Amino acid sequence: MDERVIPWQPTVIAGPKQALLVTPETAEMMIQKAKRPLLVIGPLINDSPAQTLSTKIAEKWDIPMVSTGDAFKSLSEAGVQSRAYGLVEIVNLLKDPDWEGLKGDGQHDLVLFVGVLYYMGSQGLSTLKHFAPHIKTLTICRFFHSNADASFPNMNEGEWLKYLEKLAK
Amino acid sequence: MKLLERYEPFYAPFCDMCCLCTYGKCDLTEGKKGACGIDIEAQQARTVLLACCIGSAAHSGHARHLLEYLIDKHGKELPIDLGMNIDIEAPIMRVVLGKHPKNLGDLKDGLNYLEEQMVHLLSACHTGQEGKSVDFESKALHAGLMDNLGKEIGDLAQIVALNMPKGEDAPLVELGMGSVKKEKPIVLCIGHNVAPGAGIIDYMEDQELEDDVEVCGICCAALDITRYNSRAKVVGPMSKQLKFIRSGVADVVVVDEQCVRTDILEEARKNKACVIATTDKICLGLPDMTHADPDIIVRKLVNDEVEGVLIQDPDKVGEVATRVALKISKERKSIKKLPNLEEIQEMSKECTQCGWCIRVCPNSLNMKEAVEGAMESNFTKFQELYENDVCYTCGRCEQECEVDLPLISMLTKVGEHYVKNEKYNVRAGRGPVQDVEIRRVGAPLVLGDIPGVIAFVGCSNYPEGADDVAKMAEEFLERNYIVVTSGCGAMSIGEYRDEEGKTLYERYSGDFDAKGLVNVGSCVSNAHIPGACIKIANIFAKKPLEGNFQEIADYILNRVGACGVAWGAFSQKAAAIATGINRWGIPVVVGPHGTKYRRLFLGRADKTEKWRVNDLRAGKVMEGEPAPEHLLYAAENREEATVAIVKLCIRPTDTTKGRQIKLNNYIDLHKKYFGTIPHDVYKFVRTEKDIPITYKKEVLKILEDVEWEPKAILQEPSLMDFKEEIVSGGK
Repeated sequence: MDERVIPWQPTVIAGPKQALLVTPETAEMMIQKAKRPLLVIGPLINDSPAQTLSTKIAEKWDIPMVSTGDAFKSLSEAGVQSRAYGLVEIVNLLKDPDWEGLKGDGQHDLVLFVGVLYYMGSQGLSTLKHFAPHIKTLTICRFFHSNADASFPNMNEGEWLKYLEKLAK
Repeated sequence: MKLLERYEPFYAPFCDMCCLCTYGKCDLTEGKKGACGIDIEAQQARTVLLACCIGSAAHSGHARHLLEYLIDKHGKELPIDLGMNIDIEAPIMRVVLGKHPKNLGDLKDGLNYLEEQMVHLLSACHTGQEGKSVDFESKALHAGLMDNLGKEIGDLAQIVALNMPKGEDAPLVELGMGSVKKEKPIVLCIGHNVAPGAGIIDYMEDQELEDDVEVCGICCAALDITRYNSRAKVVGPMSKQLKFIRSGVADVVVVDEQCVRTDILEEARKNKACVIATTDKICLGLPDMTHADPDIIVRKLVNDEVEGVLIQDPDKVGEVATRVALKISKERKSIKKLPNLEEIQEMSKECTQCGWCIRVCPNSLNMKEAVEGAMESNFTKFQELYENDVCYTCGRCEQECEVDLPLISMLTKVGEHYVKNEKYNVRAGRGPVQDVEIRRVGAPLVLGDIPGVIAFVGCSNYPEGADDVAKMAEEFLERNYIVVTSGCGAMSIGEYRDEEGKTLYERYSGDFDAKGLVNVGSCVSNAHIPGACIKIANIFAKKPLEGNFQEIADYILNRVGACGVAWGAFSQKAAAIATGINRWGIPVVVGPHGTKYRRLFLGRADKTEKWRVNDLRAGKVMEGEPAPEHLLYAAENREEATVAIVKLCIRPTDTTKGRQIKLNNYIDLHKKYFGTIPHDVYKFVRTEKDIPITYKKEVLKILEDVEWEPKAILQEPSLMDFKEEIVSGGK
């Protein structure tokens, strides 16, 4: 089996439904198609080139950002605005079809995740997989997330940054 | 209005299927139901109930073992007497059962009740029983309450029968792998049941062998043995288990119950240590020699005629373990137990750099990098993994390694060689909080002058090492919180030194007061934490105890600024502990691994209708605050958790002065870890008097931006007796 599409932590395999493996091109199509996308950015990429690239992706498509863990501080020090929520809090809001969304214009229809603690992110994605049919999830981490609807594959750091660069261009 | 309506269960399925019956596996994705009709939500709740039943049964089975043994030894008439300063000896039993136990025999009534309840709870998990998540959750909360009760009974029994500290100040005891005198014969106890350890201590004292044999322990058994005799050593939390066994220091390994590695026999035998199993919960496939002559058992063990033995008689365990350790120690000292550094370097060269050690690690730790360094005789990365239990030695990397590198042994050796001075201390568990202490702190706690009680409990499945727990405790101690701890959390706190080399136990008193660091003891001693909250409701607010669960829990939820933290929760016991604490209305924060329990209880601060309360004094339903905002919350890292914990100590009845103190802490810590004033601070400002003076200008600006309006300060908020309440089913 291709190691790139086995979940990064292999035992998070939950069942028969697996994420679709996506390239930056497919990810771009998903973002373009979305009406109200959201980027959830976690603390694993605090102060890193991946964080910079992720914020550029958000800027390119005017995607509002939620920061989890303590990512808010790192982002605001880099001059990037985000809204701080706990990961479980934002997932809880996203699963509610009636939540007004970050901008107050309605629930999001696509959520991108990056930099969130892998196994915890996997749990949050599982919540959305089961209880938020109104939302598509896309992970742009360097780890394959089987609980997402679509995910980048497992990659090394260099390849991943290239993926992010492509998406940010 | 009830708890589950305000704090709705949040499910994060760990598995998309159900595999509990032969219809299955059933795929529960995309709204599909299983062959029995169950859906994914109910299946998660069912699994949570199962976990809580398992955890609760573990504590209660432990309590039953202890109680029967202690009644046999001391008689059922032995009084439950906790001394002059404690009149409320069994707050949980009194509230839940309406019974005031006077002696050991009376405690049996509590166990009989909970065992009956547990059978019913467990039966609800069978196929074709409950089908709605809310009903499973209601039962999980009850299983948690039974867990509280079982723990209280277990700890009370051992406190009175074994003369453990009764709420008074307890001595500091030695902690750490380096505290064990390796030149002596060593008996290691692992688990939670003090009886075998006490048997060993008794035998040594009878034979005047105290100076000849070293007794140490891992996990709660260690803490409880030091409550019995402070000469015993605490090796540390369960994260030490595999590396301490691999180090081969222990001559005899005595296991009792809960959280013991199930391959302990195999691991111990690698270094020719003798294993003695002591309860019917962990038999390890060993011959039952409970009724055999000690001379015969000793001979069989010393001559390697058996791999180990099962002895379900703590006194006999004491004799056999001590005698065997004395006999085999000398010969064992000469056995080579770990590879040396040169061998580690050579072994490392076998690494294929496949990287699967990282992928199977629960925390994705970079073991590969450590091995790569070792190839060049650079052991720094191994050291970094070793220190602070960053690697808690679960051993999954070893299982995965395609060239079978003994990674944990390599790590252990590097640690043994480079990490010196692993000697710390922990205050021995003091047991319950005294009534006099409650009288002293009841008012400042309920009014908010003491900003909260924060309890660090549970296991060592930490995301980034044990330091995080100690750092959180330190932060709160510096800010005048009462910090309570137990079990592995208490040990992790003790393994941290400040810049002057002092542990937190050396810096802070063991008083249940502002800036107090109170180690109540082991897992079963956790019962004293809700116990203290119950006593606040009774002693300070004069709420009757007997059979008055609803009113007491309602009082605690709305008035007592307490928060539990189970940063490394991993076990089913921890699930039961957290759920039991929740049932008393006390919020709990777990670490990121806690999401794998599948269920949290989250509030929705954006939905004002969720926070309405019945102000019993005003006689009407009023708008409330999201305080506490969540009942069971998982944080991604220490920084997030620290801020969440102080926020969860806010209560609707804080006085304006108390609220200022709590908001000051919330804002301070948010600024420290997030760089700004929290965006939701306005939700916790009722009048301008609530605003901390230091932050007045900034907070007023936020209030203006959100068009804030003052709110009434609630006098007697309650979730009980809502006029419009609809009573339904299992809610």
